[in-house]
Amino acid sequence: MLRLLTAIIALASVCAVRAEEMVPLKLDLPKPLFVGTPRPIKVSNLEPAQVGTPPPFMVPAGTVLLSLNKPATSSDSSPVIGELTCVTDGDKSGIEGSYVELGPGVQWVQVDLGAPARLAAIAVWHFHAEARVYHAVVVQLSNDPDFKAAVTTVFNNDDTNADGLGKGSDYAYVETYRGRVIDAKGVTARYVRLYSDGNTSDELNHYTEVEVYGRPVN
Amino acid sequence: MPQTSSHWLPLALVAVAAMLWRGEGLGARPMHADEANQAVKAGELLESGRYAYDPRDHHGPVLYYAVLPVAWIRGERTLAGLDEVTVRLVPAIAGAACVILLGLLAAPLGRWPSLAAAAFMASSPPVLYYSRYFIQETLLVAFTLAAFLCARRWWERGGAAWAAAAGACLGLMLATKESAPVFAACALLALAAAGPLPARPAHARGGLAALACLGAALAVAALFYSSFGSHPAGLRDALGSWRPAAARVLSGDTGHEKPWWYYLRLFAWQRSGGLTFEQAGFGALALAGAGIALSGGPGLLRWAAAYSGLVLLVLSATPYKTPWLAVNLVPGFALLAAGALAALARDRFGAAVAGAAALAVVAMLALQADRAARVYASDPRNPYAYVHSAPDVLKFRPLAEWALARTPGGPVRVISEEYWPLPWYLRGLGNVGYWNSPPEACDGAMVVASADLAGAVRARLHGPYDQAYLGLRPGFVLVVFTPRR
Repeated sequence: MLRLLTAIIALASVCAVRAEEMVPLKLDLPKPLFVGTPRPIKVSNLEPAQVGTPPPFMVPAGTVLLSLNKPATSSDSSPVIGELTCVTDGDKSGIEGSYVELGPGVQWVQVDLGAPARLAAIAVWHFHAEARVYHAVVVQLSNDPDFKAAVTTVFNNDDTNADGLGKGSDYAYVETYRGRVIDAKGVTARYVRLYSDGNTSDELNHYTEVEVYGRPVN
Repeated sequence: MPQTSSHWLPLALVAVAAMLWRGEGLGARPMHADEANQAVKAGELLESGRYAYDPRDHHGPVLYYAVLPVAWIRGERTLAGLDEVTVRLVPAIAGAACVILLGLLAAPLGRWPSLAAAAFMASSPPVLYYSRYFIQETLLVAFTLAAFLCARRWWERGGAAWAAAAGACLGLMLATKESAPVFAACALLALAAAGPLPARPAHARGGLAALACLGAALAVAALFYSSFGSHPAGLRDALGSWRPAAARVLSGDTGHEKPWWYYLRLFAWQRSGGLTFEQAGFGALALAGAGIALSGGPGLLRWAAAYSGLVLLVLSATPYKTPWLAVNLVPGFALLAAGALAALARDRFGAAVAGAAALAVVAMLALQADRAARVYASDPRNPYAYVHSAPDVLKFRPLAEWALARTPGGPVRVISEEYWPLPWYLRGLGNVGYWNSPPEACDGAMVVASADLAGAVRARLHGPYDQAYLGLRPGFVLVVFTPRR
């Protein structure tokens, strides 16, 4: 009887979710900065080179940008280039002054949304002035600012466990002006933390913009 | 303190500091493609004892032969055993020698100005950077300065031995890089432009000296280009190399073309991606020295102004420009800057101002040099890190060793339009091959493909492969395939 009740509740939840109206996520994309055509990488575990407009990323209706001008912290508290405010200031242009540069090796930035929210998507632009791939990109969500309790990983392409957070199987990708939209899977969280371990051009870590989309709880 | 000690000791201290700075952490920066290519050539000479001058893709033989004694001292006998520290010690030693040689060349300006010239050379960002970089430039500058010194000694004292020594240095210049005649010609033209020279000793015989100089130059150059007699065809190739080299440099179609003010900007101020690199204080001091020279300064200063002006003119007028050529401008600029300080230090107050200016400029240069040569050594925003390899290249060796341990038979395939410096990092590993386009059989223990060729390579692989992405240099991504287990 208990099992039947549980199954009915689960089914009802699924139906409720399915019934939720989904709408395309509207991103305000910056201008492309590549000079000429970037080299396409046509391999199976890398996103195919996109021709034309990619299919929209669907999010629940009522999803809003939660991260604009919210405070950002980092494992590198005093970046040499740029300020941590660049992470959430809405400037995705990618030109000098629009990004923050963190030191070499594994580094993270963390955005505090101010209150827990039901998250739908995280869009990240590391550095899109040239074709490069950031290593060991991991995105985690939590209500614990120290990310010690109740941590949910929503993206992990760290195939060598460089970040020490476990190996991931998500695809690596080439940075472009389109950024990377990550499914936050409806997780409720206040903090978003993004890791990386340098890139194919240098050992440094860059963040032009991080946008967190979702709906406030309550 | 005896006068000799008070002159030599500070110069020796500056040179020792320069050597320590040049030699510290030499293996840390990833190898540039040009360094790697030349290091492989040096390693082959070390291992086999054979060298044949290649007029198409390489400069003169001296750099490769200069590696041999350093490698022997460090107990390295094979290409696989050769390391980055050994090959980079060669330009580092030459770079430290440049400091001493310039200090001696600047001696007529006075004791402290000559020390300032040496300190400018020691702390110059391009000189420090390329003293830690396995290419010919600091060797060429060291031989050039040595040739100037020997020639001046002959002029002052006479004696065919000094003329022969100058010739031997000229021969080393010629056997180092094809551009050597440009600097020799600029030096001679600058002598004519600098005005009347001091009188020669009566016993100095010009004809005999010229013969000794020319003979020594040709003998030394011939020794190296003929691989010490084992490859006589190298002499013919050397004679035939200048015309195509000049045509290539002047063609405007090498991919290294830059505006005429490129070198001026290097010695002024430039900003890229939030990083600023500047030598404005040094540049301004050198400019002041040039002004003093033009208004009738001492002979050495007039010569330095003419030499620097001619070299700058030639380098700026040539479409082909690379940042390492800026090293050739530093000795002249350092002499001019030191001359400006000497002119300033006419009384006690002026001496204090000159001393403070010298310390400030050396400190600024040192700060910039350290950023360029260590902190941002391979950063694309660093004007001296020219088309530099990405730090990712350091990951290829352990990855290949891991792949070959899993699949001992290999092969490791590198399939890319460009792949240097990977042959350096994969040296000594068995069964490694390089292709510019995908071969019929692409499978292997590890397959590295350029982004452009990765799709075609993937289509020719059999079975599942894992894929990772590593950089060759900024904007050039390589795909690494390893069989999935």
